[in-house]
Amino acid sequence: MIAGALTAGLVLLWLFPIYWIFLTSFKTPLLINEKTPVFWFTPTLENYRHLFREFRFAHVLQNSLIITVTTTLVVIVLALLAAYALGRMDVPGGKNIALWMLSLRFMPPIAIVLPFFIAWQRTGLIDTYPGLILIYIAFNLPFAIWLLRGFLVEVPRDLDEAATLDGLRHIAILRRIILPVIAPGVAVTAIFTFMFTWNEYLMALVLTSRNASTVPVTVSKFIQAYSILWGDVGAAATIELLPVLVVVFLLQRHIMRGITLGAVK
Amino acid sequence: MTIALSNVTKIYGSQTVAVRGVNLEIQDGEFFTLLGPSGCGKTTTLRMIAGLEAVTSGTIALRGRDVTDVPARDRDVAMVFQSYALYPHMTVRDNLGLNLQVRKLPRKEIAERIEGVARMLQLDGLLERKPGQLSGGQRQRVALGRALIRRPNVFLMDEPLSNLDLKLREETRTELKKLHESLGITTIYVTHDQSEALVLSDRIGIMKDGELLQVGGPHEVYARPADVFVARFIGSPSINILSGRIRPNGSDFVVEVPGPSEGAGGLERRLNSAAGITRSSLSNGQVSVGVRPEDLIIYGDPAPGRLRAQVEFVQPMGATSFAVLHVPGGERTVHDREHLMATIGPEETFGRDAAVWLDIRGDRYSLFDPESGKAIAKD
Repeated sequence: MIAGALTAGLVLLWLFPIYWIFLTSFKTPLLINEKTPVFWFTPTLENYRHLFREFRFAHVLQNSLIITVTTTLVVIVLALLAAYALGRMDVPGGKNIALWMLSLRFMPPIAIVLPFFIAWQRTGLIDTYPGLILIYIAFNLPFAIWLLRGFLVEVPRDLDEAATLDGLRHIAILRRIILPVIAPGVAVTAIFTFMFTWNEYLMALVLTSRNASTVPVTVSKFIQAYSILWGDVGAAATIELLPVLVVVFLLQRHIMRGITLGAVK
Repeated sequence: MTIALSNVTKIYGSQTVAVRGVNLEIQDGEFFTLLGPSGCGKTTTLRMIAGLEAVTSGTIALRGRDVTDVPARDRDVAMVFQSYALYPHMTVRDNLGLNLQVRKLPRKEIAERIEGVARMLQLDGLLERKPGQLSGGQRQRVALGRALIRRPNVFLMDEPLSNLDLKLREETRTELKKLHESLGITTIYVTHDQSEALVLSDRIGIMKDGELLQVGGPHEVYARPADVFVARFIGSPSINILSGRIRPNGSDFVVEVPGPSEGAGGLERRLNSAAGITRSSLSNGQVSVGVRPEDLIIYGDPAPGRLRAQVEFVQPMGATSFAVLHVPGGERTVHDREHLMATIGPEETFGRDAAVWLDIRGDRYSLFDPESGKAIAKD
């Protein structure tokens, strides 16, 4: 009973800001600035119109989607191959490699963003899709490999051996046997990669300007010299939430299994 | 011959020897069992034949072709794993058909073979199910079917019955034997269960600490064990080992198991022709005498050449019973184990601590060198 009430309270606490920003996106500036919060009003799409007209939001959204989806796909493919090699083959120093890669994740991004800025400027990668995608792949890959390797080593080796005797080679074993078995783990890894990339702010802020700018960077521009465009913030945040909700919704069937996969044999 | 292992050795790391110099020839159509306790190297040997484990030295030939360096997928061997290793995301149909599909057999033939194997193993109604929806026995049959469907050169089985409960295990054991009788595929079977080995095999190879101690038919390894380890490992309850000595008697030799004290009466056997025994091989004359429980006869009265003992209790087993015996002051007589076991009729009874006298049935005993454990030939 108490636990239930506590859970409900926590969920409300977490959901309220989302609900509030969602409401805000449909309010006129006048309503937004009311002293007493307004919950019932006639909604307007003016904020969304403004967002797409003034901030080229369609373009920014497209950038974010292309960069995030590409990064996620490449990371999953590379991480699967690497995890298979680390988990199944006798890679010299395999254990150390796995730990070393995880430690890469501890590095603060701010420490390397400036060197990247200079390097990208000289190589022409600044403000391009490949420039940002490359960095996101590099950032997500270690964690993805680590996660997938964890799922993969839970799969009994007998399965690989049975498949070997059935005539499959490494890539076929990975694709036809391992991948379907660890699909939940792949889903979890994909969600983590997608969310990290979709929400990433620092790298995108420094390494893009006009062409490859992403949603989080654009939202930061709503804080202007004399005012904050709360209506636009609300509209952008609402839209920004959508892809994450869609991805999580599509993969949620797998997440619950994926999160508990390692626990129960 | 179908399978030939010569001097096969497997060393893990720098010095862990899993298999040491195994030489073995297995004939076409034979059901051959590798038997031994866990860690004896039997599974490693099987995995080397499959190609799942590289040999450290030695060669393996299948049908006269040296396959020592041939990858597993090109050896045309099928294996049943202890864990079954069914593909959990595939239906029974796809589990059975994967190999044929990889080998690009015509779709029609694949379907026919799947139907055929399913009928043979009573998996008919289960083809669209996934392994998770099957019972243990059904999974076991799918694992078997996945190997059978390939019509392989060699059938390898790694403790395929150990995950079944006792009753199902005995049923499946009979099924396996029938299957082998009708298909005649050369089979190498790994188990630690000696009764399984005796029931199923044409020949048995007993392994210990990576070495193949003896190869022979079920009766041979039971009746004429080459080693005291083999003697103890095969048969249940296990063989009685008595301490005895051999002394020359004219041109012959006499084996005797002395009683608890001098003059207390002991067992005695004359060795007619001592093939394996020379005076020099009898350093101190000590010998271990192995007698199976069914060859230890219990008498109610003393006579010369009988060993005195006491009945501790009787274990009824249904068709027979076993008397658990104690030799008073028997440290001299009974080798490193306190009790002797003798098979008795199901209706025989003995009072507690009843005094009895033991003898060996005819020449049904084995002699072993107490130092090396090797058998000493006595005829």
